[in-house]
Amino acid sequence: MADARHTLGKPAALSRKAELTLRLATAVGDVAAWVSRITGRGSGASIRGQVLTRLAPTAFADLLQGRRILAVSGTNGKTTTTHLLAAALRESLGAEAARLVTNADGANLRYGIASALAKNRSADIAVLETDERVVSDMIALGRPEVLVFLNFSRDQLDRHHEIKALGRAWRVALDQAGDAGPTIIANASDPLVVWSSSTASRVVWVEVATLWSADAALCPGCGTVLTRLRSEGRDRWDCPGCELTQPSASYQVEGSSIRLPDGQVVVPDLQVPGSFNISNAACALAAAVEFGVDPVTALAGMHTVVSPAGRFATVQFGATTARLLLAKNPAGWAEALPLAASDPVVLAIDSVAADGKDVSWLWDVDYEQLAGRRVIATGPRAQDLAVRLGYAGVEHRIVPDLAAALAGHPHPVDVIATYTPFQRLLKMGGLR
Amino acid sequence: MSRPVEIVVVYQSLLGIYGDRGNAMVLRSRLLQRGIDADLIEIEPGDRLPASGAVYLLGGGEDAAQVSAVKYLREDGHLFEAMDDGAVLFAVCAGYQIAGQTFTVGERDQVIEGLGLLDVTTRRGTERAVGEILTRWQRPDGTESLITGFENHGGFTTLGPGASPLAFVEIGVGNANDGTEGAVQGRVIGTYPHGPVLARNPELADHLLEVALGRSLEPLPNDEITELRRQRVAAIRRQGSRR
Ligand SMILES: [Zn+2]
Repeated sequence: MADARHTLGKPAALSRKAELTLRLATAVGDVAAWVSRITGRGSGASIRGQVLTRLAPTAFADLLQGRRILAVSGTNGKTTTTHLLAAALRESLGAEAARLVTNADGANLRYGIASALAKNRSADIAVLETDERVVSDMIALGRPEVLVFLNFSRDQLDRHHEIKALGRAWRVALDQAGDAGPTIIANASDPLVVWSSSTASRVVWVEVATLWSADAALCPGCGTVLTRLRSEGRDRWDCPGCELTQPSASYQVEGSSIRLPDGQVVVPDLQVPGSFNISNAACALAAAVEFGVDPVTALAGMHTVVSPAGRFATVQFGATTARLLLAKNPAGWAEALPLAASDPVVLAIDSVAADGKDVSWLWDVDYEQLAGRRVIATGPRAQDLAVRLGYAGVEHRIVPDLAAALAGHPHPVDVIATYTPFQRLLKMGGLR
Repeated sequence: MSRPVEIVVVYQSLLGIYGDRGNAMVLRSRLLQRGIDADLIEIEPGDRLPASGAVYLLGGGEDAAQVSAVKYLREDGHLFEAMDDGAVLFAVCAGYQIAGQTFTVGERDQVIEGLGLLDVTTRRGTERAVGEILTRWQRPDGTESLITGFENHGGFTTLGPGASPLAFVEIGVGNANDGTEGAVQGRVIGTYPHGPVLARNPELADHLLEVALGRSLEPLPNDEITELRRQRVAAIRRQGSRR
C-alpha cells in the first residue's frame, strides 16, 4: 500500500492439525472443481468450496484469518463494485498485485468465498463480494477493515421474503463487533442501508444516484412513511416519526462525477456503462481511500475494469455480436433497460432458484419504455414475458431457445438476462 | 360520453411488493380493449383516496407496511364509503389479510385489527407457504375456471360465516392448507396468489370488471394468454405430482 501505517504479514499460522486438514480438503476440493469444469457443470468455485467445507468445517473462518479484508455487499452492483475495488487496490500494489485475492467470479456465499481464498493462501489482502446473508458471519469471523453496503432492494422474494430481517441481522453483528468492527462505506440515499449501518462504530457516507426507490417507502426504524425534502438542490429522505434521516455524505455522486470529501470533483473514466456504475465507483473509491489508496491511483485502477464476471461483455454468437447485460430484480432492470439500445433487443427470463421462482416482478419493470422497438422474448419463462409485453404494447416475438433467439442478427444486439440465462450465455460465448 | 372507470391502486409503496400494479394495468387494458374509457389512479399515503373508484386494489407487503396501510385507510375513510356505494375491492396476499377482521404481525404474533371488510381472520401458519398454486374457481354462471398463481405468505386465514371461499385448492396451500383459497363477501374478493394474478387469469379479471360495471363483457381471446395458462397449469401439475 502507498500508506505504510499498516503492517502486512503472512496469513496467520493455523495449528498443525488444522493446517493439514485444510490442505487436504483444498486438494480434494480442487479435484471436485476440475471434474465440475471438464463435465461442463460450472466454474467449479462453489463445488470446491462445498467439498472444502465438508472436509474442513471451519475452512471459511480459518481462511479469513490473517488477511486484511474488504467486503462488498448489497442487492445490486456487488460484483462490479468488487472488481472496481480490487482493481483500485491492485493499481496501488503495482508489482505486488499478487498479494490480493478476490472472488472475481461472483461466487459470494460461504462456499464461493472459501474457494477463492483456498486458491490463494499467501495473499494477505482480500476483496470479497459477500452475499447479504453472509455479511453477519463475515463481520464476526473475518473482522473486515472495510465493508461496503451498496443498496438494499427486493430480490428473489420467494427466498428472502423480508429484506428488513437481513438489515436487522447486520445491525446486531455490527453492534457486537463494537470498536473492532469495520469502517462501513454506506449508501446514504438508501434508508434501509442507513438503518442497517447505524450500529457501526464508524461510517463513511456516500450519496449515490438511484433510479429505484420503490422499496424505501417506510422508515425501517419506526414504520412511518418517509418524506422527501429538497435542500440545496438535492432530494433527501427523512423520517417524520423518529430520528432517522439521510446523513450528509462525505462523497457525492453528481451526474457522471464524484465529489470527494475535500471538495475536489473527479470524473471517473469507467469502461463499465450506466449511472449506477458511477455510484458503484464512488463506493469503491471511498473504500479504497479508506484503505490508504490515493484517489488518483484508485481511479486509474478502476479504469481497467471492462466486463466484471461477464457483465457488459460483448460476445460473438456465430455471426451475431451481442452485449450481455444482467438484471436480477426490478432495481436491476430499471438500470439495465435504458442501456439496452438495440432494435431488436433480446430479453431472456428464467425462474429457477437463482433467478427467483416467482416472476411477478415482471410487472414491476417498466417494459413500456421499449415501445416502438422489437423485443425477442426468450428463456423458459418467455411466455410470461410475452404476456407482460403484450399488455405494455411492445411488439415482440417468442423464441424459447436461447441460441435460436441470438441467431442471425445482422446488427449488434443487446441482451438483458436474468441470472441463469446470463450464465448460459457466458458459457455459449466462451467466457466461462 | 360516460366518465372513465376509475381503477384505484391503493398505496403501491406499502402494498406493491410483488408486481401488484400489474393487476391494475390488466384491468385498465381489458376495459380499453373493449372501448371503455378507464383511468388508473395511484394513491400514496398522505393523499386522499377517491371515493368514486369502481375497483380498488390492495396488494402484497411486509408486516410494518400492513399496519401502516390499515392506519392510513381508516384515517382516510374513502375506501369504506366507496364500498358502501358498490365498488369492488380486490385484495391480494397482505392486502387480503388486512381486509379481514384481524391479522398478526411480528415474531410475537401481535394481533392487529383489520379493515373488517371480509369476515376472515389470519394468524401465523405452521410454515410459510411459498410456491406455485392451482385452484378451481366456481364462476357465477356455474362453470369452473382454473386459477394459477404464486403464493408466498406466512399467515393462515380462517373464514367466518360471513365469507365464502373464492376457490378450492388443487395444488398449493391456499387459506390454511384446508382445501380452500381466498374469500368472497359481497363485492370484496380476497386471494393469496399474488402480484399479477389477473395477468394469468383473465376470466377472474373480467369477473371483477363485470361486477364493478354491473354488466357482462364480451370475451377477449388472446392466444398468448391461453398458451401461458396451458404452460403454467402443466408446470404446476408436474411439480405437484412430484410432491
Ligand atoms: Zn422513523
